Amino acid sequence: MNTLQTNRSRPDALLFIGLGILLVIFFIADLLFGSIIIPVKQVFFAFFPSSATSDSFRTIVLEFRLPKALTAVFTGAALSLSGLQMQTVFRNPLAGPYVLGISAGATLGVALFVLGFSSAFAFGIFSSTGAWSLALVAWAGSFLVMLLILYVSARVNDIMTLLILGILFTSAVTAVVSILQYFSSESMLKAFVIWTMGSLGSVTKSQLMVLAPAILAGTFLAFLKIKDLNAFLLGEDYARSLGVSIKISRVIIFLSTSLMAGTITAFCGPIGFIGIAVPHICRVIFKTANHLVLVPAVILTGSIVMLFSDIVSQLPGMQTTLPINSVTALIGIPVIIWMIVKNRKFVSV
Amino acid sequence: MKREKINIELKQLSVGYEQPGEASLEVLKDINFTAAPGEMVALIGSNGIGKSTLLRTIAAFQPALSGDIQISARSLNTLNPREIARIMSFVSTETIRIPNLSVFDLVAYGRFPYTNWIGMLADEDKAIVYEAIEKVGLNELARKPVMQISDGERQRAMIARALAQDTPVIILDEPTAYLDVSNKYEIFHLLQILAGEKKKTIVLSTHDLNIALREVDKLWIVTETGNYQGAPEDAVLQGWLNQMFKNEHIGFDEKEGEFFFRKNFKAKVKVEGEGLPLIWTLRALNRKGYQIVMQAEPDFRIIARENRWILISAEEENEFQTIYQLLTFLG
Repeated sequence: MNTLQTNRSRPDALLFIGLGILLVIFFIADLLFGSIIIPVKQVFFAFFPSSATSDSFRTIVLEFRLPKALTAVFTGAALSLSGLQMQTVFRNPLAGPYVLGISAGATLGVALFVLGFSSAFAFGIFSSTGAWSLALVAWAGSFLVMLLILYVSARVNDIMTLLILGILFTSAVTAVVSILQYFSSESMLKAFVIWTMGSLGSVTKSQLMVLAPAILAGTFLAFLKIKDLNAFLLGEDYARSLGVSIKISRVIIFLSTSLMAGTITAFCGPIGFIGIAVPHICRVIFKTANHLVLVPAVILTGSIVMLFSDIVSQLPGMQTTLPINSVTALIGIPVIIWMIVKNRKFVSV
Repeated sequence: MKREKINIELKQLSVGYEQPGEASLEVLKDINFTAAPGEMVALIGSNGIGKSTLLRTIAAFQPALSGDIQISARSLNTLNPREIARIMSFVSTETIRIPNLSVFDLVAYGRFPYTNWIGMLADEDKAIVYEAIEKVGLNELARKPVMQISDGERQRAMIARALAQDTPVIILDEPTAYLDVSNKYEIFHLLQILAGEKKKTIVLSTHDLNIALREVDKLWIVTETGNYQGAPEDAVLQGWLNQMFKNEHIGFDEKEGEFFFRKNFKAKVKVEGEGLPLIWTLRALNRKGYQIVMQAEPDFRIIARENRWILISAEEENEFQTIYQLLTFLG
């Protein structure tokens, strides 16, 4: 009688192995390609201090490409997992990591800093310690939003109220940011707009030391709530009747999403599209609604998609890089359209 | 005499909604109902009177305004969600639309309160799930996606899910809404078998009163003027069913055991005949709003035979092959 379970698990295992191999291939490819062409052998030698390779190659590989590839993996995994959680909890196929207003909080922090305070203080402070201060203000912004979300979600029963509050908050922030943009100088405006385009390359090794634990903690929380996420698919009434403590569970899931989406937005800017698309891609690939499969699946698929986007954004062999936000959209939208045409049902959670 | 065992007891229960800054909105009050193991109970009352609110309160989805709910001799207030999930399962009116979810997966949700932190099904859990699927007669569909089965089948799958949860109490909010007549009967019949065989207490709300009257062990009746409980037959004899509707056009026919629309009679008619033709001719005339008389002087007479109906009035006499022709002539 257990044929059903075994029939399911074999293709799943194969798919996971396939995704794992793809992840390794794309990770290596991301190390190999860049604006400067480094021979494959040199890239591998760079990892071994005793080997004969030039210091500049070693610096490029270890200080720039490796942190960037790792950031791509964390970003893809974190945003996809956040998106999956939000789509399930809100039972809405259009929900994504930013539906709670997390990126709006980060954007507000950055906008106030870049467009507001920097004009009052010396712009030099921003450019010298730029990366850290931007990340810190963005993090502060999303952290405040997170506290607000957790406070409200522990008190409000109706999930739709939370969705509407998130949308309203995002709109309000957009309004404030527009005002700030209107009164700011051209150079400040450019700095802000560039931040909104997203970037994986600005994350330094020391910032990775902050980013990685935050993402791992969020992922850990998501794994703890796999069972409850499955229950949320049936709706809150059924989840409650199955013994889920709705509010506690929701707070933990929101904490996980805010931590991951907030951290990524802080360090890499508001990277769109991935968080909404990848969960749908995984539902089509794995043909399951079970989060025990979907959670690891979106982590792997999200990482792969992000690495691929990063490779494309570097335009291998050319000196410039494209904004990552445009690349994720341009790569992903055709995929989604193709999937809508092929499988009309995919849009429901 | 065996002393009545009680599985659900509602004591002086008042249900409704808390409103911040205002007096709470009381929907139903003074509810004193009981249900025993093995009993199937139908909660009936007019639309919007608060049946769902009462069921949601019993299922612990919302707090009671006052009074107490005892389930298996324990007050609901003292139980945590996990404990409640092992005592009581719930089936709502909501249609489950989850792509990629098979009937087996859906029923397996019932094992949720018993499985480990990632929800892995043990062999014992799987056996219980298959047993539940078999009980509701969905063996053939176990692997089918829930999106591809009919409404009646999906409702049976939801009942199987409640069965797999293995609780002494099952609450169902309008389980027969949106179903066709044969499916309605099947669901009632299935629930009655489950109540009897497994000694479960099954409480359901319904608008299918005529079916409920024939199938359930007990009625919980909520009306504007008071709440009553008892066997369906008691409810008929006590005249409780007539209190359910404020609408004066609906009444309960105590002899037929059915609800009917009250109509203003068009004319008096006397019908002669026997057997089925007589019965269905009376029905047809009743439907069209004619008053059937025995002794009083009728406006016209009808003689019902097999495949032949004769209408005799003061002026003329007409013959018809079908009831439809007769009714068309009468207008």
